[in-house]
Amino acid sequence: MKLRKIAVRNVFRNKTRSLLSGLAIGLTAAAFVFLFGLIEGMQQDMFYNITTYYTGEVRIRNEEYNKYEMVNPLHLNIKQYDEVIDIIKDVEGIALTSPRVSFPTAIYQEGENHNALGYGVDFSREEEYQELNRVLIEGEIPDKGEDKALIGRRLADDLGLSIGDSMTIMTQTQSFGINAITLEISGLLNYPIAQLNKMTFLAPIDRIQYFLRMDDAATEVLIKLDPGSVRKETAHKVSSILHSAGYHELAVQSLDSISQTYSMLLLARYIYYFIAFIFFLLASTVIINTMKMAIYERTKEIGTITALGMSSGEVVRLFLLEALFISIIAAFLGTLLGVGITYPMSKIGIDFTQAMEGVDFEIDPVVRPVLTAGSTILVFFYAVIISALASIGPSRKAAKIEPIEALRV
Amino acid sequence: MRKTIIYISLLMIFLFCISFNAAAVSPEEIIQKMEQNEVHDTAKVEGSMYIENRFGTKTTHFISWARGEDESLIEFLDGDEDGQKILKTPDTLYLYFPDADEIIRLQGAALRNSVMGSDFSYEDMTGGKGLLDDYSAELLGKEEIDGHSCWKIELTAKGRNVPYPKEIVWIDEDEYVTRKAEMYSRSDKLLKVMDVKDYITQEGKKFPGKMIMRDVLKKSSSTTFSIDDIELGVDIPNDFFSLQELTW
Repeated sequence: MKLRKIAVRNVFRNKTRSLLSGLAIGLTAAAFVFLFGLIEGMQQDMFYNITTYYTGEVRIRNEEYNKYEMVNPLHLNIKQYDEVIDIIKDVEGIALTSPRVSFPTAIYQEGENHNALGYGVDFSREEEYQELNRVLIEGEIPDKGEDKALIGRRLADDLGLSIGDSMTIMTQTQSFGINAITLEISGLLNYPIAQLNKMTFLAPIDRIQYFLRMDDAATEVLIKLDPGSVRKETAHKVSSILHSAGYHELAVQSLDSISQTYSMLLLARYIYYFIAFIFFLLASTVIINTMKMAIYERTKEIGTITALGMSSGEVVRLFLLEALFISIIAAFLGTLLGVGITYPMSKIGIDFTQAMEGVDFEIDPVVRPVLTAGSTILVFFYAVIISALASIGPSRKAAKIEPIEALRV
Repeated sequence: MRKTIIYISLLMIFLFCISFNAAAVSPEEIIQKMEQNEVHDTAKVEGSMYIENRFGTKTTHFISWARGEDESLIEFLDGDEDGQKILKTPDTLYLYFPDADEIIRLQGAALRNSVMGSDFSYEDMTGGKGLLDDYSAELLGKEEIDGHSCWKIELTAKGRNVPYPKEIVWIDEDEYVTRKAEMYSRSDKLLKVMDVKDYITQEGKKFPGKMIMRDVLKKSSSTTFSIDDIELGVDIPNDFFSLQELTW
C-alpha cells in the first residue's frame, strides 16, 4: 500500500519524463490497434472474396482436374453434380452450395479476341451464395435456359458493351474442339475485386454445359459453412460421404489447403505480432532510459530509504510499480486512441485504389478496418507487459545500490 | 588388260548415268510433280478424323469441297462439332458455329489453335498457292520410307508468312507422292510429324488417302485423317467459297 503510494507520487515527480515514456507506449499501442484492425479488415474481406468468388470454404472437384488445371480439362469434372449436392446437403455445418463450370474464353469482337473468364452458374443458388444483389448494379439475372449473361462492369466498358448487346464467346469444349455461342448481356456486375470486374461473366449453367458439351457436369462445387464450423472437419466429412457413395474420383479440399494467398495472410498476422513486439520493445527503451535517469537522480533517496529499512526486494517492486503505472495509463489511453481512429475508418474505409492499381489481389481496394475485442485487449496487455518487463533491469540495479555509498553522493 | 579397260569404262558409264540422273531431277521439279499428283482443280471429299490423346479418343466425320489449294469449305457432320464449318479463302480462314451470331475470322495466334482438338492446327490449313511460292527447296539425298525409295527434300521458308519455317519432306521417287513430312520451328525444334499410310489412285493421280499427324509437343497425341470417298473435277459454283455460303 505504502509502496503503491510512493510509486504514484514518483510518477508525477517528473511529469515531462513520465509523459514522454507514456507517449511512446501510448502511440505504439494506438498504431497497433489500428494496424491489427486493418489486417482483420483485410483478412475478413479476403476471406469473403475468396470463399464467395473463387474457392468456397470447402471445394469439391475431380481429383485429376487440379493436376491438369492449366490445360482446362473440362472432361475431368463432377458428373451429375445435382446428385452430389443432394448427397452432401445434410452434412452438419454446410450452409450454401454453388455448382460451377469455370472456363477461360475469348470474346470475339470485330475480328479481335479479348480474354475473359466465364462461369456457368445455377442462378437460383448463386443469388444467395454470391449475394448477387450486392454486386448487380444494373439489369436482371438471366433465367435457366436463356442465352444471356451478367458481365463485369469493367469488361463491359472495355468492350463498349451495355445491357441488351450481344457478345460471341469462343473456347475449347470438353472434347478439346472449339465452339462459339452468342450471349445477350442482361446485367452488369460491380465486383469488389478489379480482376473479376475486368475479366468475368456469369451465364446459366445449363447453357454453358451445352456450349462446352459437358452434359450435366460441373467443374466444381463450392461450399460455404455455417459460422463456427471447422473447415477441415467438414471437408473430411464430405469426402467420407462422397467416397462411401462411390464418388472415388472426387477430391474435397478446405480453403486452408487451396488458397496460398489466404494462408499467407494468416501467416502475416503472426509476423505483425512479432513486429509489434519489436516496436513495444523499442518504445520500452524510453521507459528504461527514464528509469535509469530516475535512479541516477534519486540515488541519495534510494540510499535513505534503504538505510531506513526498505529491503532490496521492495526497491525493485517500487520501480516496477512506477513503470507499471506509466504503462497501464499510457497503454489504456493509446488503445482508446487507436479505437477512436479505427472505428470511424471502419465505417468510411480507406481507399487504396491507386496503390493497388494493376495488382491482382483478392481484396477490395477500399479497406475497412475491423475492431475486434480480442486484438484490442491483446494490444493493451501486450503494451503493459512488455513495458513493465523492460523495467526489471533498471529496477534490479536500483536495488543493488549500497546505502552508505548512496548517501555519500 | 583389255577386260580391265572394259570394266573401268562400264563402271564410269554407270557412275555417269547415276550422277546424270541425280542432277537431272531438281528438288523443284520433284515438288511440282508431287503437287500435280496431290492438288486437284476441284474435289469433294468425305472423310473422318480419329483423334487420340492422353484424355481419350474421338472420331469426327466431315465433308469438304476444294478448288485448288486456295479455297475450301469443310463441314463437320457429327459429334460435338456437328454443323460447324471452316471456310478457307485465298486470304482468310473463317469459322462458322451454329450457336454464334457472328462468323469468326481467325487470325494471328488463334490460327495456332487445334482444329477440333486434333493434331492439325488451323495454320496447317492456311498457305495455299504452291509450296515453291513460299519455300526454297534443297535436295538432301535419298532415304527409304516403308520400303519405298524417297527423295528427302528440305524446304526453307522464304518469308514469315508460313506456318513452319522449315519442313523436311520425303517424296516417293517412283510415284511422286509424299510419304512423310516433318515440320520444324524457327529454332529447328521438331514440332510435328506426318506419316502417310494409304493412297488413293483416281483419274491417273495418286494422293494420300490416310495420314497420321503427330504434334510432338503434345503428350501421347495423334490424329488419323482418312478420306472415305473422293470425287475429282466436281462442279463448284463460283460463289461457293463465300461468307454467304457459310451461313446458308
